Amino acid sequence: MTNKKVAIIASNGGLFDAYKVFNIATAAAATDQEVAIFFTFEGLNLINKEANQQLAMPEGKEHFAEGFTKANVPPIPELLAMAQEMDVKFIGCQMTMDVMGLEKEAFVDGIEVGGAVTFLEFAKDADVTLTF
Amino acid sequence: MIKTDLVLDAKGLACPMPIVKTKKAMSGLDSGEILEIQATDKGSTADLKAWAQSTGHRYLGTVEEGNVLKHYLRKSSEEEKEEKKHPNVMKNEELEQKIDANQDTVVLDVREAAEYAFSHIPNAKSVPLGELDEYLNELDKESEIHVVCQTGNRSDFAAQKLTAAGFKQVINIVPGMSEWTGPTGKSVN
Repeated sequence: MTNKKVAIIASNGGLFDAYKVFNIATAAAATDQEVAIFFTFEGLNLINKEANQQLAMPEGKEHFAEGFTKANVPPIPELLAMAQEMDVKFIGCQMTMDVMGLEKEAFVDGIEVGGAVTFLEFAKDADVTLTF
Repeated sequence: MIKTDLVLDAKGLACPMPIVKTKKAMSGLDSGEILEIQATDKGSTADLKAWAQSTGHRYLGTVEEGNVLKHYLRKSSEEEKEEKKHPNVMKNEELEQKIDANQDTVVLDVREAAEYAFSHIPNAKSVPLGELDEYLNELDKESEIHVVCQTGNRSDFAAQKLTAAGFKQVINIVPGMSEWTGPTGKSVN
């Protein structure tokens, strides 16, 4: 069986966005699919070592915090580590990093830094492409 | 309780954790072994079915006990490719007619207990291949014995084994439960 490929673009940086991205990514990886995520603009928050510990809920939705605890949803850094353990490839957008004045060291280990073409190269024969 | 090779506790975990844990647990099993996943995530039934389908493993079924869902999966095996060797074979349909005519027809289901639990021929007896030796004394060497499994391979092996042990009329049912269209029973809710 040849593995399916899943290409994800993460371009938003809130807590909900992070769950959407990492849940789909880990589920796909656990189903023997090859996954790459391209983090761009606010999406970079998701792999920023400091920012991803305290991602914001959308305004007015803060009351969901209790629901997250009750449903025993793992924290984002934990999901992120799990995704990396299952070989999900993280690509940080070079252009956004330059604009924001961020260096590779600000992000979790093991990421690749690249431009749009790096992602497109992976995505060109992907079976599923998602944007969050 | 259904006999399994490994029980995974995924209770209290939210999606996608039951799937992630299942994937890890499955990689530690051998082909043909049975995994029981205990989960409370209501979406886990649909997810595990879909997961099994895309990874090539077999979803056997789910039992609900209170708020715990017990899912059963069988790790995929390469058995499908083996060549059948036992000469005496009978098609599913013939066996169905035979049972219709005679309810005392002896049928041995040599799949794992969990596979048997979710769907089996009503008067078949569950004798997992690995436990066949212990049952030899309970069977009559002279009478006709029909052996069935999922795809006719494990039953082929069992039929050879029974014949070697002195059983005179052992018949392998092909293709087996994977394409059985006759009546079935369940031993779980």
